Amino acid sequence: MKKLLVAVLLAALTVLPVMASGQSDSGDGKYKVAYIARAQADSFAAWLANSVKEEADKYPDIDVKIFDGQASDDMVNSLIENAIVNKFDAIIIQPNNGESQRPYAEKVVAAGIVCITTNARISGIAGASSVDADPYEQAAIQARAAVEQVPQGGNVVVLKGPPGNFHADERRKSWEMEFFAKRPDVTIVGEQIANWNKDEAMSLMEDWVQANDSIDAIVSMNDNMAAGALEIVKDNSKFSDIIAYGVDGTAEACLLIKDGLMTSTTLQSAYDLAENLLSVVNQLLTGEATQIDTDIDCPMVTIDNVDEYIEMHKRAGAL
Amino acid sequence: MKINSTSLNQSWNTIKNRYSILLVLLFLIVVSSLVNPNFLTGSNMSNVSRQISVTTILAFGETLLIICGLIDLSSGSVLALSGILSVAVFKATGSLPLAFAVAIIVAVFCNFINGLMVTKFKTPPFIATLAMQAMARGAALLYTNGQNIYQIEGYTVFGQGFIGFIPTPVVFLLIFFFLTWYLLKHTRFGRSLFAIGGNEEAAIASGINVNRNKMAAFLVNGVLVGVAGVLFMSRVNAGLPNGAINYEFQALTASIIGGTSFTGGIGTAGGTVAGAFIVGFLNNIMNLTNVNSYLQQIVRGAIIALAVIYDIQSKTSKQKKKLGNITEK
Repeated sequence: MKKLLVAVLLAALTVLPVMASGQSDSGDGKYKVAYIARAQADSFAAWLANSVKEEADKYPDIDVKIFDGQASDDMVNSLIENAIVNKFDAIIIQPNNGESQRPYAEKVVAAGIVCITTNARISGIAGASSVDADPYEQAAIQARAAVEQVPQGGNVVVLKGPPGNFHADERRKSWEMEFFAKRPDVTIVGEQIANWNKDEAMSLMEDWVQANDSIDAIVSMNDNMAAGALEIVKDNSKFSDIIAYGVDGTAEACLLIKDGLMTSTTLQSAYDLAENLLSVVNQLLTGEATQIDTDIDCPMVTIDNVDEYIEMHKRAGAL
Repeated sequence: MKINSTSLNQSWNTIKNRYSILLVLLFLIVVSSLVNPNFLTGSNMSNVSRQISVTTILAFGETLLIICGLIDLSSGSVLALSGILSVAVFKATGSLPLAFAVAIIVAVFCNFINGLMVTKFKTPPFIATLAMQAMARGAALLYTNGQNIYQIEGYTVFGQGFIGFIPTPVVFLLIFFFLTWYLLKHTRFGRSLFAIGGNEEAAIASGINVNRNKMAAFLVNGVLVGVAGVLFMSRVNAGLPNGAINYEFQALTASIIGGTSFTGGIGTAGGTVAGAFIVGFLNNIMNLTNVNSYLQQIVRGAIIALAVIYDIQSKTSKQKKKLGNITEK
């Protein structure tokens, strides 16, 4: 009896998610689009996936299904293969690691399915389209401002994203070329990987504050880590003039800029990416275009314009 | 003279066996303070204590569980779920006591399920808690839609505040250290855990209710995870559904380095604190001296390997001694 109960429960649980998300093929003539997210546990990736879902509601002919790659190359690749087998009309890939997904994206094109790569794009695939923001440029606009803002002979700390991540590596490279190469007087007193995470950045900053009497600037490859470092020094008068840079334009970063704690960030708007993705997929599916590569604008958010971005986050329910 | 040197040897052996972990900690402190003058300052000590408090509180739970032959791989995820719900309740009601209570209730409930899977359905604890790890993380992400919760001013009092000159999380650490020590050393429950982990068959034969004690161990672990959830979210001043990933492994590391034996039946609260400080100091000195991130990972891995090798070696030598005594007799 107990065995039967467990078996029934197991069967019910297997069917439940399919029913809940309406995965069954309704055959209602809509275009089926698979959106394969890098990892739903990554707050930016989740923001983007949510935005794609919301934007899709504006297109009555398009039905988007979201799949979670769980930050695993193997998982993302399997999801792409599944989507090909299930004959989706278009597959949007947010790669976990571009090079690892490249052959699978090529399989999508070879199967005659519309293929779009985003955040970050996998470039150079014939027949595939892409919507992205340029990670080098995102960091570069901060770095160029920093050349003027960081004091002569200043001490800076650098918070890096996960090694091997395209955006993490490109942003760090951009800081090297656009700032550190031009300011040899600046000393890096601490540089570590905090994996995009706020809590890891906090522990690192706590240690750096102990080791250094003065830190003039926090150079962070994303906003979460910059916010973590600022959490440590926000009430410390010794660091009241600290300069802090991030990338993403998250709701938290906008609030920190408004409070005068953070200097600036570059908005990588998930709303803009989603808007572009749906517009591109629509054009490709309806035959208006056969191949599109586009980049969204990445405006710099500072104290002067932060109010409009706080409003944007409020409208989206993030604040 | 010979007697003196023998007794000296014996007392050194006693110190080595009983306090070896403290000797390692002392050695690390001395070396670190020589390497970097900032290491031994009051503010740095308070800093490290605050940094390790969340994982050490989790480690107390792991220690209790490992002693009686269990393990919890879900503590990081359950921490996130209980912390997220606590933050959400605080945002909705503004009540700190209610937020605190919610975290504990959620974490205790998850651990009740863990306990049920292990005692009632005889699931291996490794698998049961691995399943809970996935479920709790999924629930935290589902509830928040993968987004962080911000603007929780007022909630930060637990993770960022001070009681006197001691950081609040460290006060919690001390309270739970004392409670774990007391539970293990001075209660029937504690003795039962050692008995179950040492030899479950013998424990059953001697009339110990194994299932009830295992369930109780999970529930106590739940309380600890719930408190850790509040401290974590409060420290980071946000509700992070993807926070504390792999914290269960950091907690396990502290517990194992502190001399808790994976085979069960052996472990102390003091050892766990020492283990947590060894990891904390090591991370701290490597950051103070700006050691390369990749190298840090290698060092951390090597320390775990050495701790376990040491644990097995010392147990083998104890066994040899015991066997030697028997033959001599």
